[in-house]
Amino acid sequence: MIIDLKNLTIEKAHNHFKNGDFTVRELVDEYLKVIKEKNPTINAYLEIYNDIDQQVEKAEKIFKDGTATLLTGIPIALKDIILFEGHIASASSKILENYVATYDSFVVKKYKDEGVVFLGRTNMDEFAMGSSTETSAYGVTRNPYDTSRVPGGSSGGSAAALASDMALASLGTETCGSVRQPSSFCGLVGLRTTYGSVSRSGVIPMGSSLDQIGPMGKNVNDTEILFNAMVGYDAMDSTSIKDESRAIQKTPIKRRIAVPRSFLNSGGVDSEVLKNFEESCEKLKKLGYEVVDVDLPVLKYSLAVYYIIMPAEVSSNLARFDGIRYGFSSKEKNLLDVYKNSRGKGFGREARRRILLGTYILSHGYYDAYYNTALKVRQFIKDELFNLFKDFDAFITPTAPFPPFKIGEKMDDPISMYLSDVFSAPANLADIPSISIPSGKTEAGLPLGIQFTAPFLREDILFTIGKDFEKLV
Amino acid sequence: MQLDDIKRLAELARIDMSEEEMNSLVKDFDSILAYVGQVQEVSKLYNIETLHENPDNYFLKNVMREDVVLNKEGEYKEKILANAPDTENGYLKVKQIM
Repeated sequence: MIIDLKNLTIEKAHNHFKNGDFTVRELVDEYLKVIKEKNPTINAYLEIYNDIDQQVEKAEKIFKDGTATLLTGIPIALKDIILFEGHIASASSKILENYVATYDSFVVKKYKDEGVVFLGRTNMDEFAMGSSTETSAYGVTRNPYDTSRVPGGSSGGSAAALASDMALASLGTETCGSVRQPSSFCGLVGLRTTYGSVSRSGVIPMGSSLDQIGPMGKNVNDTEILFNAMVGYDAMDSTSIKDESRAIQKTPIKRRIAVPRSFLNSGGVDSEVLKNFEESCEKLKKLGYEVVDVDLPVLKYSLAVYYIIMPAEVSSNLARFDGIRYGFSSKEKNLLDVYKNSRGKGFGREARRRILLGTYILSHGYYDAYYNTALKVRQFIKDELFNLFKDFDAFITPTAPFPPFKIGEKMDDPISMYLSDVFSAPANLADIPSISIPSGKTEAGLPLGIQFTAPFLREDILFTIGKDFEKLV
Repeated sequence: MQLDDIKRLAELARIDMSEEEMNSLVKDFDSILAYVGQVQEVSKLYNIETLHENPDNYFLKNVMREDVVLNKEGEYKEKILANAPDTENGYLKVKQIM
């Protein structure tokens, strides 16, 4: 049969495999054909793995054995920051250009056990530092909806691969919006998972108190399938939540959604984005949700808090790259010059900027004014949201304040680039789950997204509301 | 923020960079620090010192384990050394310090 990649979902593919309509091999070949045709323009993948044949054979064997799961044989794109043993993971940085993963990340291991087929590794902002995939050392990725525009970031390659039918699902990571914002820019569903729900073992770190892995799917159901297959306790990540703690008493859904008005108005939101957001609110009301304006006055400080905590953590996390144990090493006469030149030449401009910013923020005399204050405000934001969720299932905003922008448009103005994530920051600071769902398009046909943010460990609420909302878009 | 401040930070962070880049960082830092400096407003508007601990934090606490080797001896040695820029007899090779 002819495979309709555009309308294919994980469940549909699974049923086709089971019914013998097509095989894993045939589906994978279909994707490889599209990759060959589109990747030279889009630049979503940096590498197509050389062991796809073995992965396919393994998946087909699982089907023959009758132990297949929904993810068996599903072709997935992997962000270039998640370790897959024996394969390069470069974080799209020159400093890790030839770094070969020495072990599987927790997520890859889990997915491998189910017989997922990883097609290749996808482009991203270097070390996940960016909102457009333009800071990659390996060229920009283009938005499949308009190739003169960015796909968002940092997981822009994963989003662009999925949106252009070069994969059936994708994995990304988030420190602040890096799954949700590219999902929004590419018309996909993207989930930032509860902090501690998915092990980060084998993920190259950026801001360790904020980082999480997150799935991208074509719809909410696919995203839920991907999420359910990656959760679980892992002793190799000390922030991983014990299984018994996950079994919390789940309060029933209230069908009440909050709109943080003053936060929304502080974001410099594009008029088309705002109009689409108001339409989404009306749709939710039609679906029987109560949509209520609330005042969360501290939420608007989230991005400022984030841009203190993150660089501080970046400066310590990236101290490990020293040109000695792995990665790019500059040939010098003495050790200090090896450090300075390996880091100077190996890191790109944005990484260097953030390391220095973090070094400043953590330095004597400024630590209290910035870092310590930011930690306290972070707790304040957590409390504000904790209280909100006593009365509401979720709060909503647009995912990003503007539609996909032109390549190069924001590269010379870091603050304007950082503002892409203004609505992303609360979830990462408060450790809570948040989902971006397509909510329509601009007049020019560019995708827009709405973002729902729910209490700790309540991804289930996001899936329930998300599936409802999807019906009306 | 002055050029000398950036030079000192680059030295502390062990990153060699051009004068041109350091000059552009002076400008970037001024605008970034003005933006993130907003957090100090919060401490003026609200009493951020007396915060209650919400129960979510129950999940986030220090995790300890015995300081013991969990892997078999040499289990990852070859793979790890294969990533190293310079090795000798199974050791990482480092340039002289002085």
